[in-house]
Amino acid sequence: MSIFKPGLVHVPVTPFKADQSIDYDLYAKVIEFHLKNGADSLAVPMQPAEDVSLRETELRQIIDFAIKQVKGRVPVIAHVSDPGTGIAVERARFAEKAGASAIASHPPYFWHPKPSMVVEHLVQIGSATHLPFFICTPLVEDAGTHLTGEIVMDVIKRLDNIAGLIDSSMRFVFMAETISLGREVRPDFQLLSGTDFMVPNAAVGGTGAFSPLSSVAPKLARQLYELCTKQQLVQARALQEDMAELHHLVKQGGRAGLKTAMRAMGRECGDPRLPGLSLGEPMMSQLAARVAACPYLSAEPRGW
Amino acid sequence: MSTVLKEAPAAKSASKRQPFVLKGVMQAPVTPLHEDFSVDYDGLEKMVNFHVVNGAPAIAWPHHKAESPNLTMEERKKGAEVLIKTVARRVPVSIFVGSLSEEDSLDLTRHAEKAGADMLLTISPYCRRPTQEEIFQSIVRIGEYTDLPVLTYNSPWRNGEGVEFTSELVARLIERLPNYAGMKDASFHSEKFTEISRVALRMRPGFSIIMGLEHLLASYPLGACGSFSSCGAIAPNLCNRFFAALEANDWDTARTCQYKITKLYRLFKDQYPSSLKGAMISMGRNAGPIRLPLPTASKERVEFLCRQLEELDVINTEPHGW
Repeated sequence: MSIFKPGLVHVPVTPFKADQSIDYDLYAKVIEFHLKNGADSLAVPMQPAEDVSLRETELRQIIDFAIKQVKGRVPVIAHVSDPGTGIAVERARFAEKAGASAIASHPPYFWHPKPSMVVEHLVQIGSATHLPFFICTPLVEDAGTHLTGEIVMDVIKRLDNIAGLIDSSMRFVFMAETISLGREVRPDFQLLSGTDFMVPNAAVGGTGAFSPLSSVAPKLARQLYELCTKQQLVQARALQEDMAELHHLVKQGGRAGLKTAMRAMGRECGDPRLPGLSLGEPMMSQLAARVAACPYLSAEPRGW
Repeated sequence: MSTVLKEAPAAKSASKRQPFVLKGVMQAPVTPLHEDFSVDYDGLEKMVNFHVVNGAPAIAWPHHKAESPNLTMEERKKGAEVLIKTVARRVPVSIFVGSLSEEDSLDLTRHAEKAGADMLLTISPYCRRPTQEEIFQSIVRIGEYTDLPVLTYNSPWRNGEGVEFTSELVARLIERLPNYAGMKDASFHSEKFTEISRVALRMRPGFSIIMGLEHLLASYPLGACGSFSSCGAIAPNLCNRFFAALEANDWDTARTCQYKITKLYRLFKDQYPSSLKGAMISMGRNAGPIRLPLPTASKERVEFLCRQLEELDVINTEPHGW
């Protein structure tokens, strides 16, 4: 199998109408925005897309829609995580038929199976298709069995199409252990940052990054990614700190933070789907004002 | 109010101390014990001297690796005196003053300053899930009790989720304490580290962020000045080569070193520092048993560790004996 290197992966949000339905016209705009602003690949629907708030049918529709909208301009990675192994397996097969370039899944949420069962879950999803398979760490790590280096190693040994790990744990020890041990078994094993903290990932040997904040600051994400790719890690510090500040601001808004920041940049995508709540006033205006005041965002695109 | 709290801060002795900059992989010696589990102070001298001779840029004791929660106050004071005397100002010395009781910590603070320590390390109150305000006030009481530079130890893993030094807390402490000089950060987490370094280094550019162990590769580009060490008693050459590569921005060499250190730490982390002491035997540096409730490495474990050190090419590339 040829090695699929996703590069800088943009992670689109899911826009919702006032009636909570997916706004596909706006979703097309979101995708075009990312394609126009530096995405090497897209990943849908990742956690910033509120994947856990989407219905079973919507999870398939959104993968299908994104692939059709992209029309092969960049690879599309389909995120198929689910608590049920069989459901995730079927979604992976659907994504392959729809034209996805790769599959990503984290360990099951909700259940706390033994590590050997987590391995089985991931192996079944990975082996459901012939596509490159990426394991990802869940954003909420304690909502299931922790993904350990040992689990990753066991999956690597059993799956020919394993491509890498998308790390959102941000744990230095796990990152270093996984990449160093993983590459002993599979020299082309990749470690990708699942967050906008790209410098630590690049330092330990990672390549590639999934950027949730590319919805807000695609230029900053690209510049940071390029410096990391060139291993200019000390030089990347200032940009990483800007990105960290933006991350900190957005995080203060909870689930609504990312969409509030996008609104401040002139890209209205509606509110989060329930049970996620809108920030409400005056917090929404306060956060939007703080984002808009960030000097490093002055060069970023406004509107679509 | 305790006796300790009523007494005046220790006599100022800052004028005798040389200014220093912390950087590199700093060594935190284990506490050698006799077979009857009493502290082997002669062994501690040898241990400290070994680290200094083998390039340690600073010495810190008694960290958890030195079994500090299992040492009496008297042992900690005597150990600090032995340590400071042995180092003899060849490198800076940090004394850890964290303990269950804040009054004991203040007592250790005063003792360390009188004994000639160069800086102090303290921690958020143990075993009681303090709020951010309680941590702030506790650190302020200790920081205002001494003229020495004070480092804080951030260990969310040991202290429980949420018991940590957030960037907001660090900012408050920097504003309040002119002698708040740095942090031993054991969060080992990209977001947490970056948030602290981003805020602290802008407010106080000389603030020293020292990683708790040598998981330094991910944080060095973002402002970490060095680390304490898990494997320095086994592989000091590796530690020094690692930091030299980082300073040279030689990332390939640094990665090679980091991966090897990571493998070593995988050997040591279970029941730390039991296996570390067990591995030291293979390097000709027997530091004795471990106090309960931690286990002393069994004969089989020591043999396993020896084989692993051979496989990792440590036995032949690192110093043997004291």
